[in-house]
Amino acid sequence: MAQSKTAVIRSDLDIVIARTMARDMAKALGFGPIDQARIATAVSELARNIFLYAGTGNVTVRDIEKGSRKGIEIICEDQGPGIPNIDLVMQDGYSTSRGMGMGLPGAKRLMDEFDIKSKEGVGTTIVCRKWRT
Amino acid sequence: MDNLRIPILKIGDILIASIQVALHDASAVQFKDDLLQKIHDTRARGVIIDLTALDVVDSFIGRLIADIAAMAGLMGARVVLTGLQPAVAITLVELGLELPRVLTALNLEKGLAMMQRMTSEESDDGAE
Repeated sequence: MAQSKTAVIRSDLDIVIARTMARDMAKALGFGPIDQARIATAVSELARNIFLYAGTGNVTVRDIEKGSRKGIEIICEDQGPGIPNIDLVMQDGYSTSRGMGMGLPGAKRLMDEFDIKSKEGVGTTIVCRKWRT
Repeated sequence: MDNLRIPILKIGDILIASIQVALHDASAVQFKDDLLQKIHDTRARGVIIDLTALDVVDSFIGRLIADIAAMAGLMGARVVLTGLQPAVAITLVELGLELPRVLTALNLEKGLAMMQRMTSEESDDGAE
């Protein structure tokens, strides 16, 4: 039952669309209401990051399996300016914009796994996962 | 595209706004502006913001609510947040947004009682 859905982020309306898409998939995959809220909130933070810093990008959600574990994976990609210092943006309270500095570290806390790759002038890719308990 | 406007109701000197749909950023900012203007126009002394219908409150909306409470406070109005769902309370704290300076109540009814208690105490103290 491989599922994958992508939302294109171009405006603040697309942030709501992306998080609704993630919540619907989390629900379909059997996540409980609190994990659905965590996943939807993490997608909201990551999609807003794309909108604020890169302008446009994609958010993809898909189901994943590892052995007997099932989960959801969120992939956020943009071709924006990239993040020169990832350690810095992962600190609580760090912000260069209206993001209030809570977006990336907050999203990381809401998910089980969080991986960020970024290259200046090329873009940023964030992959995060949550496993069903 | 026009922003969605959140209706703001007035009962006595209390304003009540119930947010029923997921707000995108521009609508949320519009709501803040509308609410502060309405506090000014009606000389309201209290504002209840009911979030019962929201299943996601991210850092942008959480921060905006904290800002609204601070700004309304500068104008002499108290803000009580009501109806946060358990999942919303959990994700807000996990995000790191505990809204320490925002008054809260379990539901609209308790929020209204809290607000009436506060505003009547202020009247007893001879405040305007």
